[in-house]
Amino acid sequence: MQAYAAKLIDLIELKAENIARQWAADVMKHNRTPSYSSLPQDRVIERGVDFYMLFRKISLADVPFEAAKTFSWKYAEQCHRDKIPLHEAIYALILLRRHLWLYAEFQGVFVTALQMHQAVESLNRTITMYDYVAYQVIEKYQELINADVDKKLGSIKTLLMNKPIGGIKSIYKSGLMGILLLGACILTYYYHATLGTGVIFTHLFYIPIILASIWWGKKGIFVAIFLGVLILISHAVFLKAVPFVDDIIRALMFVVIGGVVGWLMDGIKKIEDLYKATI
Amino acid sequence: MLASLKLLDLMENSSASIAKQWAKDVVKNPKTPYYHNSDQDKIIPQAVEFYQKLSRVYTDKDPFTAIQKFMGKFAEARFKEKVPLHEALYAIVLMRRHIWLYAEFQVIFITIVEQHQAMDSQTRTILMFDYIMYAFTEKYWELMNLEVARKNKK
Repeated sequence: MQAYAAKLIDLIELKAENIARQWAADVMKHNRTPSYSSLPQDRVIERGVDFYMLFRKISLADVPFEAAKTFSWKYAEQCHRDKIPLHEAIYALILLRRHLWLYAEFQGVFVTALQMHQAVESLNRTITMYDYVAYQVIEKYQELINADVDKKLGSIKTLLMNKPIGGIKSIYKSGLMGILLLGACILTYYYHATLGTGVIFTHLFYIPIILASIWWGKKGIFVAIFLGVLILISHAVFLKAVPFVDDIIRALMFVVIGGVVGWLMDGIKKIEDLYKATI
Repeated sequence: MLASLKLLDLMENSSASIAKQWAKDVVKNPKTPYYHNSDQDKIIPQAVEFYQKLSRVYTDKDPFTAIQKFMGKFAEARFKEKVPLHEALYAIVLMRRHIWLYAEFQVIFITIVEQHQAMDSQTRTILMFDYIMYAFTEKYWELMNLEVARKNKK
């Protein structure tokens, strides 16, 4: 097989830039690859040269599939960065393969019966390589889209604690929330029972309220309700002489803020799930 | 073009046999793990239909339009089944390989003239599959974007 393909590989390596130039001229005006028309020609040619130089690497590799990744991953990254749709990226690969054959035919590389036989072998080899590259490009391209979504949702994901140290996310969240709620109870008791004042310490309660809504969405509202009820009961027990109105407003604000943040977070989670499911 | 007719006949008349061999391969190929738990009886009809439709467009003057039509439906079906795009595409690559494996096994190209026919058939098959790959990826991409847009509206 290697002997059969050698003639083609020699030609490709020697004339990689010429073939890539012909490919670039075609792909930049082809109606199935319109996104290439706006790219700088030099960059397009470079991609073509990379593809043609891959033949030697693959023919020498023990595992050709693995060797193909050196080109495929780079190509997928370049296409993703240049915002070339996947089907156009695949068609550009098809054109790369075709131009190789057009050039070989034009140069009259395969003339005699034996050479024709070599042509069939070389053709098979070219197609196998293309099959690998197409598979890897699509896989990588989708991986890049996924990474893009992850990156865009990065700060939110950090707050969501999707990847905490140790990975037991629900225990971490519940534990931290438990500590914050206990702190809120102690703080309420200290201010209401010990100091006998309704001074505005309750702003600190927004920390557990917002965190709960970020982590558990609409269900997080129960934390806001708990803290609202806590300050109202504590007020009723320890601050009988102080008017109730301020704490009622505070309790209502807890529930409103918790509800709004929870509702927004449910929306964000839905979008994230959707991207993960469709990509 | 006429030289391709031999392969065309084979594809049309032996679609079930080729599809069975493809199914055996795809359920254990490391590049198509989605199919590993698939029931062969369910996936064989997909391949049979594919080979039959392909054989009908093989000699068309404008095969791309016809391929776009039937591959559009094929892509919709695979999208609904949630087959990852790269695996679905590799399954199609295997379908192409199995046409040739079957043809070689049946020894349909023996003489020198037939060897020339083989070359011609191969070129034609590759052209058809280039169109198939493009049409399939284009449709799948469209479906993925539509799905995102549709759910974003909710």
